[in-house]
Amino acid sequence: MRVVIAEDLALLREGIVALLRDAGIDVVAQAEDGEGLLRIVGGHKPDLAIVDVRLPPSFTDEGLRAALEARRRQPGLGVLILSQYVEPVYTSELLASSGDGGIGYLLKERVGDVRGFVDAIERVASGGTALDRAVVTELMHARDGGGGPFAELTPREREVMELMAEGRTNAAIARAMVVQPGAVEKHISSIFGKLDLPATDDDHRRVLAVLAYLRAP
Amino acid sequence: MAIIVSVNQSNSWHGDALSLQVALSALFGFVNTLIWALTGGGYFWPAWVWLALGIAAGVHAVVVHGVRATPGRYRKLRIHGEATGLILAVYVAIWILSGAGYFWPVWPTSIFLLALGIHAIVVQWRPESREQELVERVDELTRTRRGAVDVQAAELRRIERDLHDGAQARLVALSMHLGRAEARLDDQPELAELVRRARQEAGSAISELRDLARGIAPPVLADRGLAAALDGLGRRAAIPVTVDATIDKRPPPVVETAAYFVAAEALTNSAKHAGGAAARVYAAMADDRLVVEVSDSGTGGADPAGSGLTGLRHRVEALDGTLTVTSPPGHGTTVLAELPCGS
Repeated sequence: MRVVIAEDLALLREGIVALLRDAGIDVVAQAEDGEGLLRIVGGHKPDLAIVDVRLPPSFTDEGLRAALEARRRQPGLGVLILSQYVEPVYTSELLASSGDGGIGYLLKERVGDVRGFVDAIERVASGGTALDRAVVTELMHARDGGGGPFAELTPREREVMELMAEGRTNAAIARAMVVQPGAVEKHISSIFGKLDLPATDDDHRRVLAVLAYLRAP
Repeated sequence: MAIIVSVNQSNSWHGDALSLQVALSALFGFVNTLIWALTGGGYFWPAWVWLALGIAAGVHAVVVHGVRATPGRYRKLRIHGEATGLILAVYVAIWILSGAGYFWPVWPTSIFLLALGIHAIVVQWRPESREQELVERVDELTRTRRGAVDVQAAELRRIERDLHDGAQARLVALSMHLGRAEARLDDQPELAELVRRARQEAGSAISELRDLARGIAPPVLADRGLAAALDGLGRRAAIPVTVDATIDKRPPPVVETAAYFVAAEALTNSAKHAGGAAARVYAAMADDRLVVEVSDSGTGGADPAGSGLTGLRHRVEALDGTLTVTSPPGHGTTVLAELPCGS
Protein backbone atom coordinates (compact mmCIF):
# COMPACT_ATOMS: atom_id res chain seq x y z
CA MET A 1 0.00 0.00 0.00
CA ARG A 2 1.32 3.43 -0.95
CA VAL A 3 0.45 6.22 1.43
CA VAL A 4 1.19 9.95 1.37
CA ILE A 5 0.66 12.36 4.25
CA ALA A 6 0.00 16.12 4.45
CA GLU A 7 0.47 17.58 7.93
CA ASP A 8 2.22 20.84 8.79
CA LEU A 9 3.22 19.97 12.36
CA ALA A 10 6.45 17.94 12.15
CA LEU A 11 5.76 16.39 15.55
CA LEU A 12 2.55 14.78 14.32
CA ARG A 13 3.75 14.03 10.80
CA GLU A 14 6.80 12.14 12.03
CA GLY A 15 4.75 10.40 14.72
CA ILE A 16 2.26 9.09 12.17
CA VAL A 17 5.04 8.01 9.80
CA ALA A 18 6.77 6.06 12.60
CA LEU A 19 3.49 4.51 13.71
CA LEU A 20 2.69 3.36 10.18
CA ARG A 21 6.21 2.01 9.70
CA ASP A 22 5.68 -0.14 12.82
CA ALA A 23 2.55 -1.49 11.15
CA GLY A 24 4.42 -2.24 7.93
CA ILE A 25 2.83 0.58 5.93
CA ASP A 26 5.17 2.64 3.79
CA VAL A 27 4.71 6.41 3.63
CA VAL A 28 6.10 7.25 0.19
CA ALA A 29 5.96 11.05 0.45
CA GLN A 30 5.15 13.86 2.88
CA ALA A 31 3.82 17.37 2.37
CA GLU A 32 3.35 20.41 4.60
CA ASP A 33 0.64 22.26 2.71
CA GLY A 34 -2.17 21.86 0.21
CA GLU A 35 -0.12 22.53 -2.90
CA GLY A 36 2.49 20.06 -1.69
CA LEU A 37 -0.22 17.43 -1.31
CA LEU A 38 -1.40 17.87 -4.89
CA ARG A 39 2.21 17.66 -6.07
CA ILE A 40 3.03 14.40 -4.27
CA VAL A 41 -0.30 12.81 -5.19
CA GLY A 42 0.39 13.66 -8.85
CA GLY A 43 3.96 12.35 -8.63
CA HIS A 44 3.57 9.19 -6.54
CA LYS A 45 0.05 8.01 -7.48
CA PRO A 46 -0.60 6.68 -3.96
CA ASP A 47 -3.52 4.51 -2.81
CA LEU A 48 -4.27 6.77 0.12
CA ALA A 49 -3.67 10.34 1.29
CA ILE A 50 -3.80 11.15 5.00
CA VAL A 51 -4.57 14.88 5.26
CA ASP A 52 -4.88 17.36 8.12
CA VAL A 53 -7.85 19.73 7.57
CA ARG A 54 -5.96 22.80 8.69
CA LEU A 55 -2.81 23.52 6.68
CA PRO A 56 -0.74 26.57 5.75
CA PRO A 57 -0.80 29.17 4.34
CA SER A 58 -4.37 30.02 5.38
CA PHE A 59 -4.59 27.68 8.39
CA THR A 60 -8.33 27.29 7.82
CA ASP A 61 -9.55 24.35 5.74
CA GLU A 62 -6.78 24.35 3.15
CA GLY A 63 -6.08 20.63 3.69
CA LEU A 64 -9.69 19.60 3.12
CA ARG A 65 -9.93 21.62 -0.09
CA ALA A 66 -6.67 20.16 -1.41
CA ALA A 67 -7.78 16.63 -0.48
CA LEU A 68 -11.08 17.02 -2.36
CA GLU A 69 -9.19 18.34 -5.38
CA ALA A 70 -6.74 15.41 -5.22
CA ARG A 71 -9.67 12.98 -4.98
CA ARG A 72 -11.22 14.57 -8.07
CA ARG A 73 -7.95 14.43 -10.04
CA GLN A 74 -6.88 10.90 -9.22
CA PRO A 75 -9.44 8.12 -9.64
CA GLY A 76 -9.38 5.55 -6.86
CA LEU A 77 -7.44 7.72 -4.41
CA GLY A 78 -8.59 7.09 -0.84
CA VAL A 79 -8.72 10.20 1.37
CA LEU A 80 -8.48 10.03 5.14
CA ILE A 81 -9.01 13.41 6.79
CA LEU A 82 -7.61 14.08 10.26
CA SER A 83 -8.89 17.00 12.31
CA GLN A 84 -9.05 18.38 15.82
CA TYR A 85 -12.69 19.21 15.16
CA VAL A 86 -15.70 17.51 13.69
CA GLU A 87 -17.77 19.98 11.68
CA PRO A 88 -20.81 18.90 9.65
CA VAL A 89 -19.88 21.31 6.87
CA TYR A 90 -16.53 19.55 6.35
CA THR A 91 -17.88 16.02 6.53
CA SER A 92 -20.78 16.86 4.21
CA GLU A 93 -18.35 18.25 1.64
CA LEU A 94 -16.22 15.15 1.91
CA LEU A 95 -19.25 12.88 1.47
CA ALA A 96 -20.54 14.94 -1.45
CA SER A 97 -17.18 15.19 -3.25
CA SER A 98 -16.70 13.52 -6.58
CA GLY A 99 -14.31 10.58 -6.83
CA ASP A 100 -14.58 6.84 -6.48
CA GLY A 101 -11.94 6.17 -3.80
CA GLY A 102 -12.67 5.49 -0.15
CA ILE A 103 -13.21 8.31 2.35
CA GLY A 104 -12.56 8.71 6.03
CA TYR A 105 -12.74 11.44 8.64
CA LEU A 106 -11.17 10.88 12.04
CA LEU A 107 -10.46 13.03 15.06
CA LYS A 108 -6.69 13.26 15.55
CA GLU A 109 -6.70 11.53 18.92
CA ARG A 110 -7.98 8.32 17.30
CA VAL A 111 -4.47 7.89 15.87
CA GLY A 112 -3.39 6.71 19.34
CA ASP A 113 -5.54 3.60 18.91
CA VAL A 114 -2.97 2.03 16.58
CA ARG A 115 -5.01 -1.01 15.60
CA GLY A 116 -8.14 1.02 14.92
CA PHE A 117 -6.18 3.59 12.95
CA VAL A 118 -4.44 1.00 10.78
CA ASP A 119 -7.80 -0.70 10.17
CA ALA A 120 -9.28 2.62 9.07
CA ILE A 121 -6.35 3.22 6.71
CA GLU A 122 -6.74 -0.20 5.12
CA ARG A 123 -10.50 0.25 4.71
CA VAL A 124 -10.24 3.65 3.09
CA ALA A 125 -7.34 2.56 0.86
CA SER A 126 -9.48 -0.30 -0.44
CA GLY A 127 -12.45 1.95 -1.22
CA GLY A 128 -14.39 1.75 2.06
CA THR A 129 -15.33 4.35 4.66
CA ALA A 130 -13.99 5.18 8.10
CA LEU A 131 -15.94 7.85 9.88
CA ASP A 132 -15.34 8.95 13.44
CA ARG A 133 -18.26 8.10 15.71
CA ALA A 134 -18.46 11.84 16.49
CA VAL A 135 -18.96 12.49 12.75
CA VAL A 136 -21.73 9.93 12.56
CA THR A 137 -23.42 11.28 15.68
CA GLU A 138 -23.44 14.82 14.29
CA LEU A 139 -24.69 13.74 10.88
CA MET A 140 -27.44 11.69 12.50
CA HIS A 141 -28.52 14.47 14.84
CA ALA A 142 -31.87 15.99 13.93
CA ARG A 143 -32.33 13.22 11.31
CA ASP A 144 -35.24 11.73 13.29
CA GLY A 145 -38.54 12.33 11.61
CA GLY A 146 -37.01 12.73 8.13
CA GLY A 147 -38.73 11.03 5.20
CA GLY A 148 -37.24 8.75 2.55
CA PRO A 149 -36.30 5.07 2.72
CA PHE A 150 -34.43 5.65 6.00
CA ALA A 151 -37.68 6.41 7.81
CA GLU A 152 -38.56 2.75 7.27
CA LEU A 153 -35.57 1.46 9.24
CA THR A 154 -36.31 0.00 12.65
CA PRO A 155 -34.41 1.43 15.64
CA ARG A 156 -32.18 -1.69 15.66
CA GLU A 157 -31.46 -1.32 11.93
CA ARG A 158 -30.68 2.33 12.47
CA GLU A 159 -28.18 1.38 15.15
CA VAL A 160 -26.55 -1.13 12.79
CA MET A 161 -26.48 1.57 10.10
CA GLU A 162 -24.64 4.01 12.36
CA LEU A 163 -22.05 1.41 13.34
CA MET A 164 -21.61 0.53 9.67
CA ALA A 165 -21.10 4.20 8.90
CA GLU A 166 -18.24 4.28 11.38
CA GLY A 167 -16.75 1.54 9.25
CA ARG A 168 -17.11 -1.35 11.68
CA THR A 169 -17.09 -4.99 10.60
CA ASN A 170 -20.02 -7.31 11.25
CA ALA A 171 -18.16 -8.94 14.14
CA ALA A 172 -17.46 -5.52 15.71
CA ILE A 173 -21.08 -4.47 15.26
CA ALA A 174 -22.25 -7.69 16.91
CA ARG A 175 -19.91 -7.04 19.85
CA ALA A 176 -21.08 -3.41 20.21
CA MET A 177 -24.76 -4.40 20.14
CA VAL A 178 -24.24 -7.56 22.23
CA VAL A 179 -25.94 -9.81 19.66
CA GLN A 180 -24.91 -12.82 17.54
CA PRO A 181 -23.11 -12.06 14.23
CA GLY A 182 -25.97 -13.84 12.47
CA ALA A 183 -28.45 -11.26 13.79
CA VAL A 184 -26.28 -8.45 12.41
CA GLU A 185 -26.20 -10.07 8.99
CA LYS A 186 -30.01 -10.32 9.04
CA HIS A 187 -30.35 -6.61 9.90
CA ILE A 188 -27.92 -5.68 7.16
CA SER A 189 -29.67 -7.65 4.44
CA SER A 190 -32.96 -6.11 5.58
CA ILE A 191 -31.37 -2.64 5.26
CA PHE A 192 -30.06 -3.45 1.76
CA GLY A 193 -33.55 -4.56 0.82
CA LYS A 194 -35.23 -1.42 2.13
CA LEU A 195 -32.70 0.79 0.36
CA ASP A 196 -33.20 -1.13 -2.88
CA LEU A 197 -29.46 -1.56 -3.48
CA PRO A 198 -28.22 -3.56 -6.49
CA ALA A 199 -27.08 -7.09 -5.73
CA THR A 200 -23.33 -6.71 -6.15
CA ASP A 201 -20.66 -7.83 -3.68
CA ASP A 202 -21.41 -7.12 -0.04
CA ASP A 203 -18.54 -4.68 0.61
CA HIS A 204 -19.63 -2.44 -2.20
CA ARG A 205 -23.28 -2.49 -1.15
CA ARG A 206 -22.17 -1.68 2.36
CA VAL A 207 -20.33 1.45 1.23
CA LEU A 208 -23.25 2.51 -0.95
CA ALA A 209 -25.67 2.08 1.94
CA VAL A 210 -23.49 4.09 4.29
CA LEU A 211 -22.98 6.90 1.81
CA ALA A 212 -26.67 7.02 0.94
CA TYR A 213 -27.51 7.14 4.63
CA LEU A 214 -25.05 9.91 5.44
CA ARG A 215 -25.86 12.00 2.39
CA ALA A 216 -29.62 11.83 2.92
CA PRO A 217 -30.93 15.29 3.86
CA MET B 1 -22.12 73.61 36.79
CA ALA B 2 -20.94 75.71 39.69
CA ILE B 3 -20.49 78.70 37.38
CA ILE B 4 -24.01 78.43 35.95
CA VAL B 5 -25.50 78.25 39.44
CA SER B 6 -23.65 81.37 40.59
CA VAL B 7 -24.74 83.26 37.45
CA ASN B 8 -28.35 82.31 38.10
CA GLN B 9 -28.10 83.52 41.65
CA SER B 10 -26.56 86.85 40.66
CA ASN B 11 -29.08 87.56 37.88
CA SER B 12 -31.48 89.44 40.10
CA TRP B 13 -28.61 91.41 41.57
CA HIS B 14 -27.52 92.49 38.07
CA GLY B 15 -31.08 93.52 37.26
CA ASP B 16 -31.39 95.56 40.45
CA ALA B 17 -28.07 97.28 39.80
CA LEU B 18 -29.20 98.27 36.27
CA SER B 19 -32.50 99.68 37.53
CA LEU B 20 -30.66 101.65 40.22
CA GLN B 21 -28.21 103.02 37.65
CA VAL B 22 -31.06 104.07 35.33
CA ALA B 23 -32.86 105.78 38.22
CA LEU B 24 -29.73 107.64 39.42
CA SER B 25 -28.82 108.61 35.82
CA ALA B 26 -32.31 110.00 35.26
CA LEU B 27 -32.08 111.98 38.49
CA PHE B 28 -28.60 113.35 37.60
CA GLY B 29 -29.73 114.26 34.05
CA PHE B 30 -32.82 115.98 35.38
CA VAL B 31 -30.76 118.02 37.87
CA ASN B 32 -28.42 119.12 35.04
CA THR B 33 -31.37 120.10 32.85
CA LEU B 34 -32.85 122.02 35.79
CA ILE B 35 -29.56 123.89 36.28
CA TRP B 36 -29.50 124.69 32.50
CA ALA B 37 -33.06 126.09 32.77
CA LEU B 38 -32.29 128.11 35.92
CA THR B 39 -29.12 129.59 34.35
CA GLY B 40 -31.14 131.05 31.50
CA GLY B 41 -31.26 128.34 28.82
CA GLY B 42 -29.10 129.01 25.73
CA TYR B 43 -27.08 126.19 24.14
CA PHE B 44 -28.61 122.94 25.42
CA TRP B 45 -25.39 121.48 26.87
CA PRO B 46 -27.19 118.89 29.14
CA ALA B 47 -27.76 116.86 25.95
CA TRP B 48 -24.11 115.71 26.24
CA VAL B 49 -24.67 114.77 29.88
CA TRP B 50 -27.71 112.73 28.86
CA LEU B 51 -25.63 111.06 26.13
CA ALA B 52 -22.85 110.08 28.56
CA LEU B 53 -25.40 108.70 31.04
CA GLY B 54 -27.14 106.82 28.23
CA ILE B 55 -23.86 105.25 27.05
CA ALA B 56 -23.02 104.06 30.59
CA ALA B 57 -26.51 102.57 31.08
CA GLY B 58 -26.42 100.99 27.61
CA VAL B 59 -23.05 99.31 28.26
CA HIS B 60 -24.38 98.08 31.58
CA ALA B 61 -27.54 96.68 29.94
CA VAL B 62 -25.55 94.88 27.21
CA VAL B 63 -23.25 93.32 29.82
CA VAL B 64 -26.18 92.18 31.99
CA HIS B 65 -28.00 90.77 28.96
CA GLY B 66 -24.85 89.01 27.79
CA VAL B 67 -24.31 87.33 31.14
CA ARG B 68 -27.92 86.19 31.27
CA ALA B 69 -28.04 84.83 27.72
CA THR B 70 -28.36 81.02 27.52
CA PRO B 71 -25.14 79.31 26.44
CA GLY B 72 -25.16 78.13 22.86
CA ARG B 73 -23.60 78.70 19.50
CA TYR B 74 -25.39 82.07 18.96
CA ARG B 75 -24.57 83.65 22.32
CA LYS B 76 -21.39 85.46 21.27
CA LEU B 77 -23.00 86.64 18.05
CA ARG B 78 -25.96 88.08 19.96
CA ILE B 79 -23.71 90.01 22.34
CA HIS B 80 -21.68 91.25 19.38
CA GLY B 81 -24.91 92.43 17.70
CA GLU B 82 -26.12 94.28 20.79
CA ALA B 83 -22.75 95.99 21.28
CA THR B 84 -22.71 97.04 17.60
CA GLY B 85 -26.23 98.42 17.94
CA LEU B 86 -25.22 100.48 20.97
CA ILE B 87 -22.12 101.92 19.25
CA LEU B 88 -24.13 102.85 16.14
CA ALA B 89 -26.80 104.52 18.30
CA VAL B 90 -24.06 106.56 20.00
CA TYR B 91 -22.65 107.65 16.60
CA VAL B 92 -26.06 108.80 15.40
CA ALA B 93 -26.72 110.63 18.69
CA ILE B 94 -23.38 112.45 18.41
CA TRP B 95 -24.13 113.31 14.76
CA ILE B 96 -27.52 114.80 15.73
CA LEU B 97 -26.10 116.70 18.68
CA SER B 98 -23.26 118.11 16.58
CA GLY B 99 -25.68 119.64 14.07
CA ALA B 100 -26.78 116.82 11.77
CA GLY B 101 -24.57 117.94 8.85
CA TYR B 102 -22.73 115.54 6.52
CA PHE B 103 -23.72 111.99 7.67
CA TRP B 104 -20.20 110.83 8.58
CA PRO B 105 -21.34 107.87 10.77
CA VAL B 106 -21.94 105.96 7.54
CA TRP B 107 -18.22 105.02 7.41
CA PRO B 108 -17.67 103.55 10.90
CA THR B 109 -21.18 102.03 10.66
CA SER B 110 -20.31 100.08 7.50
CA ILE B 111 -17.13 98.73 9.08
CA PHE B 112 -18.94 97.59 12.24
CA LEU B 113 -21.77 95.99 10.23
CA LEU B 114 -19.23 94.23 8.00
CA ALA B 115 -17.50 92.78 11.09
CA LEU B 116 -20.87 91.63 12.43
CA GLY B 117 -21.76 90.04 9.08
CA ILE B 118 -18.47 88.10 8.95
CA HIS B 119 -19.02 86.90 12.51
CA ALA B 120 -22.53 85.69 11.61
CA ILE B 121 -21.25 83.77 8.56
CA VAL B 122 -18.47 82.14 10.57
CA VAL B 123 -20.91 81.04 13.30
CA GLN B 124 -23.33 79.71 10.74
CA TRP B 125 -20.73 77.67 8.86
CA ARG B 126 -18.62 76.27 11.68
CA PRO B 127 -20.32 74.24 14.40
CA GLU B 128 -19.67 75.63 17.80
CA SER B 129 -16.40 74.28 19.18
CA ARG B 130 -17.94 72.42 22.15
CA GLU B 131 -20.39 70.68 19.90
CA GLN B 132 -17.56 69.83 17.51
CA GLU B 133 -15.50 68.52 20.40
CA LEU B 134 -18.29 66.20 21.54
CA VAL B 135 -18.87 64.91 18.03
CA GLU B 136 -15.16 64.15 17.67
CA ARG B 137 -15.05 62.50 21.09
CA VAL B 138 -17.98 60.23 20.27
CA ASP B 139 -16.32 59.29 16.96
CA GLU B 140 -13.09 58.52 18.76
CA LEU B 141 -14.79 56.44 21.45
CA THR B 142 -16.75 54.45 18.87
CA ARG B 143 -13.53 53.81 16.93
CA THR B 144 -11.46 52.79 19.96
CA ARG B 145 -14.23 50.58 21.33
CA ARG B 146 -14.48 48.79 18.00
CA GLY B 147 -10.68 48.56 17.97
CA ALA B 148 -10.68 46.99 21.44
CA VAL B 149 -13.33 44.46 20.38
CA ASP B 150 -11.29 43.62 17.23
CA VAL B 151 -8.08 43.22 19.22
CA GLN B 152 -9.85 40.94 21.67
CA ALA B 153 -11.24 38.78 18.86
CA ALA B 154 -7.81 38.52 17.21
CA GLU B 155 -6.29 37.58 20.56
CA LEU B 156 -8.86 34.82 21.09
CA ARG B 157 -8.17 33.42 17.61
CA ARG B 158 -4.45 33.43 18.44
CA ILE B 159 -5.09 31.51 21.68
CA GLU B 160 -7.18 28.93 19.79
CA ARG B 161 -4.37 28.52 17.25
CA ASP B 162 -1.73 28.20 19.96
CA LEU B 163 -3.79 25.48 21.64
CA HIS B 164 -4.23 23.69 18.32
CA ASP B 165 -0.56 23.77 17.33
CA GLY B 166 0.77 23.52 20.88
CA ALA B 167 -0.84 21.62 23.73
CA GLN B 168 -3.37 19.73 21.58
CA ALA B 169 -0.73 18.59 19.08
CA ARG B 170 1.61 17.49 21.87
CA LEU B 171 -1.16 15.48 23.50
CA VAL B 172 -1.94 13.82 20.17
CA ALA B 173 1.77 12.97 19.78
CA LEU B 174 1.79 11.62 23.34
CA SER B 175 -1.23 9.50 22.55
CA MET B 176 0.52 8.14 19.43
CA HIS B 177 3.63 7.17 21.39
CA LEU B 178 1.49 5.48 24.03
CA GLY B 179 -0.38 3.65 21.28
CA ARG B 180 2.88 2.39 19.77
CA ALA B 181 4.08 1.26 23.19
CA GLU B 182 0.78 -0.49 23.80
CA ALA B 183 1.07 -2.35 20.50
CA ARG B 184 4.48 -3.73 21.54
CA LEU B 185 3.22 -4.97 24.89
CA ASP B 186 1.04 -7.79 23.60
CA ASP B 187 2.93 -10.28 25.77
CA GLN B 188 2.52 -8.17 28.95
CA PRO B 189 -1.22 -7.54 29.30
CA GLU B 190 -0.98 -5.76 32.68
CA LEU B 191 1.50 -3.21 31.38
CA ALA B 192 -0.48 -2.88 28.16
CA GLU B 193 -3.59 -2.10 30.22
CA LEU B 194 -1.75 0.66 32.13
CA VAL B 195 -0.54 2.20 28.89
CA ARG B 196 -4.03 1.99 27.43
CA ARG B 197 -5.44 3.86 30.43
CA ALA B 198 -2.78 6.52 30.07
CA ARG B 199 -3.76 6.88 26.41
CA GLN B 200 -7.43 7.23 27.34
CA GLU B 201 -6.53 10.02 29.79
CA ALA B 202 -4.62 11.78 27.03
CA GLY B 203 -7.71 11.35 24.84
CA SER B 204 -9.95 12.94 27.48
CA ALA B 205 -7.53 15.85 27.85
CA ILE B 206 -7.57 16.38 24.06
CA SER B 207 -11.36 16.28 24.09
CA GLU B 208 -11.59 18.84 26.92
CA LEU B 209 -9.08 21.10 25.20
CA ARG B 210 -11.13 20.86 22.01
CA ASP B 211 -14.27 22.04 23.80
CA LEU B 212 -12.28 24.84 25.43
CA ALA B 213 -10.73 25.96 22.12
CA ARG B 214 -14.07 25.82 20.33
CA GLY B 215 -15.60 27.88 23.14
CA ILE B 216 -12.89 30.52 22.67
CA ALA B 217 -13.03 30.89 18.88
CA PRO B 218 -14.65 28.18 16.73
CA PRO B 219 -12.41 27.74 13.63
CA VAL B 220 -15.32 26.91 11.34
CA LEU B 221 -16.73 30.39 12.00
CA ALA B 222 -13.65 32.00 10.45
CA ASP B 223 -13.46 29.38 7.64
CA ARG B 224 -17.04 29.04 6.54
CA GLY B 225 -19.02 31.75 8.25
CA LEU B 226 -21.94 31.94 10.61
CA ALA B 227 -24.43 29.64 8.86
CA ALA B 228 -21.99 26.67 8.88
CA ALA B 229 -20.98 27.36 12.48
CA LEU B 230 -24.62 27.55 13.61
CA ASP B 231 -25.34 24.28 11.81
CA GLY B 232 -22.56 22.55 13.77
CA LEU B 233 -23.78 24.17 16.98
CA GLY B 234 -27.30 22.86 16.40
CA ARG B 235 -26.07 19.33 15.74
CA ARG B 236 -23.91 19.24 18.86
CA ALA B 237 -26.68 20.57 21.12
CA ALA B 238 -28.16 18.28 23.75
CA ILE B 239 -31.71 19.00 22.50
CA PRO B 240 -33.25 18.79 18.99
CA VAL B 241 -32.44 22.02 17.15
CA THR B 242 -33.64 23.32 13.79
CA VAL B 243 -31.28 25.82 12.18
CA ASP B 244 -32.55 28.27 9.59
CA ALA B 245 -29.66 30.52 8.59
CA THR B 246 -29.46 32.30 5.25
CA ILE B 247 -26.68 34.86 5.14
CA ASP B 248 -25.57 35.79 1.62
CA LYS B 249 -23.10 38.53 2.55
CA ARG B 250 -20.60 37.83 5.34
CA PRO B 251 -20.81 40.36 8.19
CA PRO B 252 -17.60 41.65 9.85
CA PRO B 253 -15.86 38.90 11.91
CA VAL B 254 -16.64 40.50 15.30
CA VAL B 255 -20.34 40.65 14.41
CA GLU B 256 -20.32 36.98 13.31
CA THR B 257 -18.56 36.00 16.52
CA ALA B 258 -21.03 37.90 18.72
CA ALA B 259 -23.98 36.33 16.88
CA TYR B 260 -22.44 32.87 17.26
CA PHE B 261 -21.97 33.24 20.99
CA VAL B 262 -25.50 34.60 21.43
CA ALA B 263 -26.80 31.41 19.77
CA ALA B 264 -24.39 29.17 21.71
CA GLU B 265 -25.30 30.66 25.09
CA ALA B 266 -29.04 30.72 24.34
CA LEU B 267 -28.96 27.06 23.22
CA THR B 268 -27.04 26.08 26.35
CA ASN B 269 -29.72 27.81 28.43
CA SER B 270 -32.49 26.09 26.48
CA ALA B 271 -30.87 22.68 26.99
CA LYS B 272 -30.52 23.44 30.70
CA HIS B 273 -33.94 24.93 31.44
CA ALA B 274 -36.35 24.03 28.65
CA GLY B 275 -36.79 20.44 29.86
CA GLY B 276 -35.70 18.78 26.60
CA ALA B 277 -38.07 20.86 24.45
CA ALA B 278 -37.00 21.58 20.86
CA ALA B 279 -35.27 24.84 19.94
CA ARG B 280 -35.01 26.84 16.74
CA VAL B 281 -32.18 29.07 15.57
CA TYR B 282 -32.92 31.70 12.96
CA ALA B 283 -30.31 34.01 11.43
CA ALA B 284 -30.63 36.46 8.54
CA MET B 285 -29.48 39.82 7.27
CA ALA B 286 -32.07 42.60 7.31
CA ASP B 287 -31.19 46.14 6.15
CA ASP B 288 -27.49 45.84 6.95
CA ARG B 289 -28.34 44.35 10.34
CA LEU B 290 -27.64 40.78 11.36
CA VAL B 291 -30.59 39.27 13.21
CA VAL B 292 -30.17 36.13 15.32
CA GLU B 293 -33.07 34.56 17.16
CA VAL B 294 -33.08 31.48 19.36
CA SER B 295 -36.45 30.28 20.59
CA ASP B 296 -37.49 27.21 22.54
CA SER B 297 -40.86 25.79 23.49
CA GLY B 298 -39.86 25.23 27.10
CA THR B 299 -41.24 26.55 30.36
CA GLY B 300 -40.18 30.20 29.91
CA GLY B 301 -39.63 32.43 32.90
CA ALA B 302 -35.93 33.12 32.18
CA ASP B 303 -34.32 35.91 34.18
CA PRO B 304 -33.07 38.55 31.70
CA ALA B 305 -30.75 39.87 34.43
CA GLY B 306 -29.06 36.45 34.87
CA SER B 307 -25.30 36.41 34.44
CA GLY B 308 -25.34 34.55 31.11
CA LEU B 309 -27.82 36.89 29.46
CA THR B 310 -26.16 39.97 30.97
CA GLY B 311 -22.83 38.86 29.50
CA LEU B 312 -24.48 38.45 26.09
CA ARG B 313 -26.10 41.86 26.37
CA HIS B 314 -22.73 43.50 27.05
CA ARG B 315 -21.22 41.68 24.10
CA VAL B 316 -24.02 42.81 21.78
CA GLU B 317 -24.15 46.37 23.09
CA ALA B 318 -20.39 46.76 22.59
CA LEU B 319 -21.24 46.53 18.87
CA ASP B 320 -24.17 49.00 19.15
CA GLY B 321 -26.62 46.12 18.88
CA THR B 322 -29.65 45.22 20.97
CA LEU B 323 -30.59 42.04 22.82
CA THR B 324 -34.21 41.25 23.66
CA VAL B 325 -35.28 38.38 25.90
CA THR B 326 -38.94 37.37 25.90
CA SER B 327 -39.79 34.63 28.36
CA PRO B 328 -43.37 34.56 29.65
CA PRO B 329 -43.86 31.69 32.14
CA GLY B 330 -45.23 28.65 30.34
CA HIS B 331 -44.66 30.00 26.83
CA GLY B 332 -41.02 29.31 26.01
CA THR B 333 -38.08 31.66 25.72
CA THR B 334 -36.96 33.79 22.80
CA VAL B 335 -33.59 35.53 22.68
CA LEU B 336 -33.29 38.04 19.85
CA ALA B 337 -30.10 39.89 18.97
CA GLU B 338 -29.85 42.60 16.32
CA LEU B 339 -26.36 43.66 15.30
CA PRO B 340 -25.52 46.53 12.93
CA CYS B 341 -23.00 45.47 10.27
CA GLY B 342 -21.90 48.93 9.11
CA SER B 343 -18.15 49.50 9.26
